[in-house]
Amino acid sequence: MIEGRGITKAFKQVQALRGVDFVIPRGGAVSFIGESGCGKTTLGRILAGLESHDEGRLLRDGEPIKDFRPIQLIHQDPYSALNPTRTIAQILRDPLRLRGHPFSKAEELLSLVGLDPSYVLSRYPHQLSGGMRQRVVIARALTVDPEVLVADEAVSMIDVSLRLGILALLRNLRETLGVSVLFITHDVATARYVGAEGELYVIYRGTVVERGPVDTVLAGPVHPYTQCLLSAIPVLHGLEVPGPDRLVPDEPLDERVEPSGCLFEPRCPFATPACAQEQPLLSRLGDTPQDHACLFPARRHVVAVPAR
Amino acid sequence: MNMGVTIAGLTVTYGDLPAVKDVSLRLEDGTITGLVGESGSGKSTLALSLLGHGNIASGSVFIDGVGDMSKMDKGALRAVRGAKIGYVFQAAQNSLNPLLTVGKQLLDLAKSHGVRDVRGAHPLLRRMGLDPDRVLNSYQHELSGGMRQRVGIMFALVLNAHVLVLDEPTTALDMITQANILQIVREVHADRGLTTLIVTHDVGVVAEVASRVAVMYGGRIVECGSTKEVLANPRHPYTRGLINAIPRLTGPVDVAKPLPGTPPTLGTIPAVGCVFRARCPIRMDVCSAQEPEMIDDVACHAVGVTAK
Repeated sequence: MIEGRGITKAFKQVQALRGVDFVIPRGGAVSFIGESGCGKTTLGRILAGLESHDEGRLLRDGEPIKDFRPIQLIHQDPYSALNPTRTIAQILRDPLRLRGHPFSKAEELLSLVGLDPSYVLSRYPHQLSGGMRQRVVIARALTVDPEVLVADEAVSMIDVSLRLGILALLRNLRETLGVSVLFITHDVATARYVGAEGELYVIYRGTVVERGPVDTVLAGPVHPYTQCLLSAIPVLHGLEVPGPDRLVPDEPLDERVEPSGCLFEPRCPFATPACAQEQPLLSRLGDTPQDHACLFPARRHVVAVPAR
Repeated sequence: MNMGVTIAGLTVTYGDLPAVKDVSLRLEDGTITGLVGESGSGKSTLALSLLGHGNIASGSVFIDGVGDMSKMDKGALRAVRGAKIGYVFQAAQNSLNPLLTVGKQLLDLAKSHGVRDVRGAHPLLRRMGLDPDRVLNSYQHELSGGMRQRVGIMFALVLNAHVLVLDEPTTALDMITQANILQIVREVHADRGLTTLIVTHDVGVVAEVASRVAVMYGGRIVECGSTKEVLANPRHPYTRGLINAIPRLTGPVDVAKPLPGTPPTLGTIPAVGCVFRARCPIRMDVCSAQEPEMIDDVACHAVGVTAK
């Protein structure tokens, strides 16, 4: 189990993370969603050991994390994540040796990620499609026996018809190897595909504003920010009809404004004078089935529903 | 002063290889048409042919009131590009000159077309929710991704173009910004009575804005029709596979199914027979011998057999 408590991070004056708690259970799926600049990528990089944090603690089974090897990052861009001058065999050889695995394990891992080892091993990255490259990146992460894969927008650069295959692979790895997946994205539907029962963290300006099982949050989001975010997902007219309570934020995000109360108050369609005064904390105020940080939580139906 | 576009039997080649082959498509006056396809499907090449760009081997691109773009000389093309046809390039948010303010680039654009008055930029920017004075005095790094995309749309329309082409206008943007840009596209399109072509890999984007859709695969249009109709009752097996591969927000997770195989690249598109047959679940013997003709808006041998 990997845990983060009160993680904060500032880049010069910009407060990227303002005290985030999260738990990634073994074999589980956890998703972070939010707008660009909300801090979700920074959090993933801190967890993978690529970025320092200012305050808070990172724990693995209750102990502070010193070695980040069990946490492996799957990058967004499989085109630049692989060394173009090395064959796939060379790419996999060194990390396997590092962990004392025989090279034969490379074939096993490539088969596991759905590639034909006899075809792939002798080839260079440029000879593979984007989908195959992302599978190689995943196989490379698996060479060091990780406990958590941090997938940051891992399918956004993959062709649409191939995306689902990669998502299905991540889901299978959870079941077959017991690897947990931290899925960072702005596309909630892909997060749901990787783990509908997993926890969804909605992040806004470096804080978690809503947290609960993916399907619970989708069915009845209570924080207006989550509602705006989910309302923005395109509706497949013809197959779906828009949710009845679809919501648009009042204003675009202005990061220069530092509200004293709720961070979403300047953009919130339901803001009250109280919201400008008090900063709400993550709780279950109003007996909601999920955690949220809103003084006036109200369930709204914003997600598109199937037509007929 | 609406202008429709008629593309007839268009083939565009790179070297000997056809990236777009024998494509016919009509963009009706005042409609938004979505052009969907994966990378390498030829969708951007087809869109660029509206500017008379690319090596047009055969066929024509006729814009009402302007003429056949495939037959124009350089001088004539230069005059109509930008003035009659507005084009928002892929990654428009990164295609601004970093050394000049937006206003200076606007003056350059006007000068190159012999236009003296570009005050039209002000209402256009205001219409898109921007402060014209601030934006025109800004360098690109001072603007957010969504703002740069709107500046791209302003450049495309400031000379009063009536045909608007948007190539992947929302690809690098998050959901809320995407929804905002799509809303702007809808509004500007309606205000100005444009004929709009929106090129994307995202079926959701098409579903949100386009009344008609054309699906491209391997340089061919394999299916076209009204967006709602195509989404609700896709007839070509590729269209069906593409729509089935979209993860959903509600209902059983496993409704979404990956499409097997990989999309062809320019070098691997089969020269004879149906371009989709390698990935097709319902292929027949005739599919490898003969290229299917476009009949009743679908190019598939099996469509009579499988249509439900």
